Amino acid sequence: MIKNSIIHLILLGLIVSCSGPEKVDNDKLKVVATTGMLYDAVINIGKDKIEAEAIMGPGVDPHLYKATQGDLSKFNRADVIIYNGILLEGKMTEVLEKLGRQKPVYAVAESVPENMLLPFAGYQDAYDPHVWFDVSRWSLVVREIGNSLAAVDSINTEFYSKNTNSYLNQLDSLNEFVTSRIEEIPEERRILITAHDAFGYFGEAYGIRVEGLQGISTVADFGLKDIANIIDIIISNNIKAIFVETSVSEKSINAVVTGCREKGHNVSIGGYLYSDAMGEFGTEEGTYLGMFRKNVNTIVEALK
Amino acid sequence: MDAFIIILTGSLVAVSCALLGSFLVLRKMAMIGDAISHSVLPGIVIAFLLVGSLQSAWMIIGAGLIGVLTTFLIEFFHQKGKLQTDASIGVTFTWLFALGVILVTYYAGNAHIDQDCILHGEIAYVPIDLMYDDAGNAIGPKAVIVLSVVLTLILLFITVFYKELFITTFDPDFASAIGISTSKWHYLLMGLVSLTTVASFESVGAILVVALLIAPASSAYLITRDLKWMFLLSSLFGIISSFFGYWLSYALDGSIAGAMVTISGVIFGICYIVTVLKK
Repeated sequence: MIKNSIIHLILLGLIVSCSGPEKVDNDKLKVVATTGMLYDAVINIGKDKIEAEAIMGPGVDPHLYKATQGDLSKFNRADVIIYNGILLEGKMTEVLEKLGRQKPVYAVAESVPENMLLPFAGYQDAYDPHVWFDVSRWSLVVREIGNSLAAVDSINTEFYSKNTNSYLNQLDSLNEFVTSRIEEIPEERRILITAHDAFGYFGEAYGIRVEGLQGISTVADFGLKDIANIIDIIISNNIKAIFVETSVSEKSINAVVTGCREKGHNVSIGGYLYSDAMGEFGTEEGTYLGMFRKNVNTIVEALK
Repeated sequence: MDAFIIILTGSLVAVSCALLGSFLVLRKMAMIGDAISHSVLPGIVIAFLLVGSLQSAWMIIGAGLIGVLTTFLIEFFHQKGKLQTDASIGVTFTWLFALGVILVTYYAGNAHIDQDCILHGEIAYVPIDLMYDDAGNAIGPKAVIVLSVVLTLILLFITVFYKELFITTFDPDFASAIGISTSKWHYLLMGLVSLTTVASFESVGAILVVALLIAPASSAYLITRDLKWMFLLSSLFGIISSFFGYWLSYALDGSIAGAMVTISGVIFGICYIVTVLKK
């Protein structure tokens, strides 16, 4: 009796709930990108030929992202889905891979050749996913986004490739800007200390030593030894400033500042860096170019 | 259609959790779901270290084994150590969780491992997370299939062994006196709880499972003292939470699991007020 009632209740619930949200249709290519960085590249390439949506808004840590009801309809509406890959999206990756059987889904950061990815601890499946912090690697990703859009919407291939090339030119001048600004920092002071290891590619590409408190995940706790190590590095290299990231709490970095002060070394907080997320859409820091410039300026001003 | 699948998934989890949750609440072991949600961490890490990959099948095996170990240790400390169940649950899961944290920082400091990003699923993606047959044809949403199997197992288990479960829950001394092993039924029930929670974590995320194990069964417990009525009412509350929770999240464009848990809390509040007013 009880089982039957339960089944009836479930069926009733199902019947009532069948009236889902209506789909909005027009003929523009609907592109969904997971992170702000990808979204920015997508709108620069697709411009008015596409309708782009981002899953993760400003200030969101992709490792800890919690889906909302609306995300599902974004994925369902999309004609093509662009995501980072290399496990940046965590568990969502599996779902996106499966969705690839129904519609075009591209893990664009995985177009970076494996020998250009920084490995972690020698495990398979474990590369650093933060490729956007090296402009040359990101250029490969941007090219892949251009190719993906062209593959899905072949009528506009020329339009996309023209925009991709002009965006790539902007990335080239950004790269020159970064290289020349970093040179303003005396070589022995090119050490970047932050809360979370998002800047591995940045360090490798622009000749900066990067020390992070946490591992690659924003959840793994740092140990007391990590703090002690960082404090030693700061004092022995006479570092002036360390940095806080917008999507990670500043608690850990404050512990380092206090620790240094106790040992008689004054280190200041050099400012906020954008790491896993960008600024608000519509502002300068809400674009990849603006966010990158802002980061580099913050770093250079504090360290030089 | 998506709304339908999500509410169906929520309801499947809700009914599974309500049935098992009724036993857990009566046996004063309601927090076991929360305990398992934390204690699976070392299972995930060890599976990763052994296999070297983050494929979810290995993670579920690792998590499932540690889940069973958790329930075993809790019962062991309770029976042999004469600890209260709440203390026993607390000691066991914090210790296992801590072990997992140490393993992550020591062996896998740079890899991105935690149950949030590796094990816990997201109910919002259930409709697009399909299961495929060998020929590559979509059979249906993976979570719905997995959770239907789990619910069938639970229903079978409870129907077939209702008498044993009833006696060991309400009168363990009498059960022992007539030769029914309380520990055997306890371990079987807890094994099922572990299986259900790990499978549900993988499909819909942790908070929803932990909450649905406790809140609907507790609400029903306030209203009735009859076990069959408790099954029925807690299942009903769970389904209502899942139905209205979905539409709440739709209205707010918020987390679906969060909204469903909120509704289950509201139902508990209403039940509480009703029982107080009745007195």
